[in-house]
Amino acid sequence: MNRRIHLSVLASLMLATGLAFAADPIKLGVSGPFTGGSSSMGVSMRDGVRLATEEINKSGGVLGRKLQLIERDDEAKNERGVQIAQELINKEQVIATLGFINTGVALASQRFYQEAKIPVMNNVATGSIVTQQFKAPEFPDNYIFRNAAHDSIQAPMIVEEAITRRGFKKVAILADSTNYGQLGREDLERALGSKNVKAVAVEKFNIKDVDMTAQLLKAKEAGAEVILTYAIGPELAQIANGMTKLGWKVPMIGSWTLSMANFIDNAGPGGEGARMPQTFIQESNTVKRKAFIDAYLKTFKPKNNRIDSPVSAAQGYDSVYLLAAAIKQAGSTDGVKIREALENLQTKVEGVVTIYDKPFTKDDHEAITANIPIFGEVKGSRVVYAYEEDQKKGADLRLKDAKKAPAKK
Amino acid sequence: MEIFLQLIYSGIALGMIYAVIAFGYQLTFATSDTLNFGQGEALMLGALVGLTLVDRLGVNYWLALPLVGVFGLAQGALVERIGVSPAIKIKSEFGWIMSTIALGIIFKNVAENVWGRDDLRFPSPLPEAPIKLFGANVLPMELLVIAGAVLMMLSVEFFNRKTIYGKAVVATFNDRDAAKLMGINTGLVITFSYALSSLTASFAGVLIAPLTLTGATMGAVLGLKAFAVAIIGGLTSGMGIIVGGIILGVAETTTGFYISTGYKDVPGLVLLLCVLAIKPAGLFGKSAIKKV
Repeated sequence: MNRRIHLSVLASLMLATGLAFAADPIKLGVSGPFTGGSSSMGVSMRDGVRLATEEINKSGGVLGRKLQLIERDDEAKNERGVQIAQELINKEQVIATLGFINTGVALASQRFYQEAKIPVMNNVATGSIVTQQFKAPEFPDNYIFRNAAHDSIQAPMIVEEAITRRGFKKVAILADSTNYGQLGREDLERALGSKNVKAVAVEKFNIKDVDMTAQLLKAKEAGAEVILTYAIGPELAQIANGMTKLGWKVPMIGSWTLSMANFIDNAGPGGEGARMPQTFIQESNTVKRKAFIDAYLKTFKPKNNRIDSPVSAAQGYDSVYLLAAAIKQAGSTDGVKIREALENLQTKVEGVVTIYDKPFTKDDHEAITANIPIFGEVKGSRVVYAYEEDQKKGADLRLKDAKKAPAKK
Repeated sequence: MEIFLQLIYSGIALGMIYAVIAFGYQLTFATSDTLNFGQGEALMLGALVGLTLVDRLGVNYWLALPLVGVFGLAQGALVERIGVSPAIKIKSEFGWIMSTIALGIIFKNVAENVWGRDDLRFPSPLPEAPIKLFGANVLPMELLVIAGAVLMMLSVEFFNRKTIYGKAVVATFNDRDAAKLMGINTGLVITFSYALSSLTASFAGVLIAPLTLTGATMGAVLGLKAFAVAIIGGLTSGMGIIVGGIILGVAETTTGFYISTGYKDVPGLVLLLCVLAIKPAGLFGKSAIKKV
């Protein structure tokens, strides 16, 4: 009798642990630079992800399970990214990973997720080839998705703004020596080529360079009327400061990183007027956006009520909802099923950037198309709409234009 | 011509930034044959402490300089006591390399936690509008860095040659055991030299911070370039540091303009290799004969 009681206790214990196992949290990896020069993007992205996760967990989680974030600082270093990828896959056994700010880190790390059949949702890295790394036909299935405006969207936008809209004839390109800068430079040169314009100067510099005199003088000597940039905040600020020093001021138009807080703060007056493509501007022009911005400011209390990188925060936030919708639809945490669900999302996901209606297909893993980003401008140390008509239409969400997809390389 | 002049100006300004940092390497080498590889971090701490004083506490920039200097003295003495003196005591040839690097990393992590990870703006104490000088532009702050570097060189040379303490430093460098027998507290001299070296580093940090950006990671690249300057100029010569700095700075800007910005770091480093191969004591260094 005694023994039987023992057995039944044991059995019920086992049952209990079994149940507990079923209610285990769903682990999502988050990989991004939370320290160093690109940390304003990494931290904003992470905070956006945290905000969305918290909201989802408050309303009961996904499949009756809570979402749990496993956050790792990749320090914008490729080798750290690779280590983290292996840790998240093998040790933490995440079911998907969000993040990657730096194109180089994304390219180095994604291979492991692709092999393990675990979906990756890039929510900031913009290098054109990020989602093309494991394209058909060499790879039957691609596990890499993206919710960010990639460089083959941004570069033509920058060129369109400089050449067509503002009528500059002579342009100089300044890009840093990282994967991000150099891939972006190629995209810019290609976009200029399609308008039959050749840059009068193409210069590069290293991360942490403190003097941009040589680069700027070359652009100035070549008669550049505008500087197109592909770099990150601190060095962009050195370019703006260098122009102040040389007493030479031409407009800066560049990739979306010109909206980084560490560019705006460090460049000061020299950074005013810089323009860049943005998928999101910190302005409460829809109910959803207002709720997001208010919650963000309340939870993370950024300086001067300015989100350090609003684009990263918004894309990070939306990417969690996209993933959650896919997990719900898949009814499972199996990587293959989540990928299939992402490629054929039945529900519309209302995000802060846009409303995602079938954001991905089997051949198109880009949620953002060329019609979604608009131009932002640095004004009074904040990023605002560069064009009044964009601001007026700010509340009209621009949906994905499926005709333009899939993105050409 | 105007272009060339502008490149030279910027090169000199850049070189002087390297030079003021390189002084710190020289000071510790002059007493103990050791180097503080955490020099870049001492610089970074100085700049961040200065930023806190100026930006948060509202201290005047010029008033903040001596305060940062005091902080530097304490920081340097700490590094020597924890990291270097145990290694010297057991006559370890390499222990101090690892311990100064380790302390540097610790300081960097502490700074990341205290001041955050982003690059911050250091408000410039001088007007930020450039001055026209013989047809090319120069920032007032750059002139201040140049003045600071020259002043530091003069005071170090003066200290070593003219004061009794300086003579103790020189004696300690020449023959530590003999100096000890002559009643010089060599341990204290070495500690003092580390304190002084961090003082110059943190002073340099506050000096250059309005030109570069201020942040926990600012020391790494600058510390390394400064090390190259110290080697090129010679670890025993104040003059060498200034000349070495100018050579490296001008080489960077002119190569960037005339050859390619992608290769701007190369000539300086090639020069470093040449100096090491031909005159290992540096362009201005006295080569010491090491008796074994």
